[in-house]
Amino acid sequence: MSRHLEEAFPRLRGSSYEVTSPRDTEYNCIAWAVGESDRWWWPDGRAFWPDDLPRERSLDAFVQAFGRLGFSGCESPEFEPGFEKIALFADAHGCPTHAAKLQPSGRWTSKLGKEEDIEHELEDLEGSHYGSVATILKRPATPTVSAPSD
Amino acid sequence: MWTDSGGAGVEQHTITVVWVDALRHYDAPASRLGPSPDERFKELAGEWRRDTRFMSSTTDMALHPAYQQIIGMGKEAIPLILRELDREPDHWFWALWAISGEDPVPKEDRGRVHRMAEAWITWGKQRDYL
Repeated sequence: MSRHLEEAFPRLRGSSYEVTSPRDTEYNCIAWAVGESDRWWWPDGRAFWPDDLPRERSLDAFVQAFGRLGFSGCESPEFEPGFEKIALFADAHGCPTHAAKLQPSGRWTSKLGKEEDIEHELEDLEGSHYGSVATILKRPATPTVSAPSD
Repeated sequence: MWTDSGGAGVEQHTITVVWVDALRHYDAPASRLGPSPDERFKELAGEWRRDTRFMSSTTDMALHPAYQQIIGMGKEAIPLILRELDREPDHWFWALWAISGEDPVPKEDRGRVHRMAEAWITWGKQRDYL
């Protein structure tokens, strides 16, 4: 249990979350959600973003970007064998803030900005930092479209 | 504006200038002047680091008021940022780009924070910022 995390994300208090990595500035939640831990993904022109994906920070643009990586819309946040699922969080203006990845255990894993990875319940991270869950996406566990290298 | 229109002339003017300068120093001794650029940077960098630790959006990081104030320090901030980057790689790349108008990071290293930091530190050494 980590006090600085619970102060930032009050819903973690009393939840059975678990810190699963040390803090690391090398990668962020988007990288983590698509299976990378050595790059910071963001469509800002300085961080990494695949060339062929739109560099726009809106939920639609992110859904489109993840669509190019093989993800499509999904109703249920429950684990389905044979599929990877991610949850996109957005603020009150609909701007994406965070992504979490579903694990076979049914719990979610998140990289918290420059801080640690944690395993948590999906709603644990809702609040002032990340807003709320805006959409769930899924793709076949063996992706039909892999993340471009550059 | 000073005009030598009779009276004590240049000597009185010189005395007046020295007197006014002395009064200014009396009113604002060094201990009461603002923080040095180094102190200001450390304070702003600490505020930025604390407020952005959970952010994934580098856009939001760059728009943080403390970060914007560091950009506003101009070239004076470059060596301070580079030393900070050397101490702990972090997302100072927008600020360096905004101030210098340059980006030495190879396209294939975008997003690789340690390699980006190394590229900027090399750039800084080549331009005598470090």
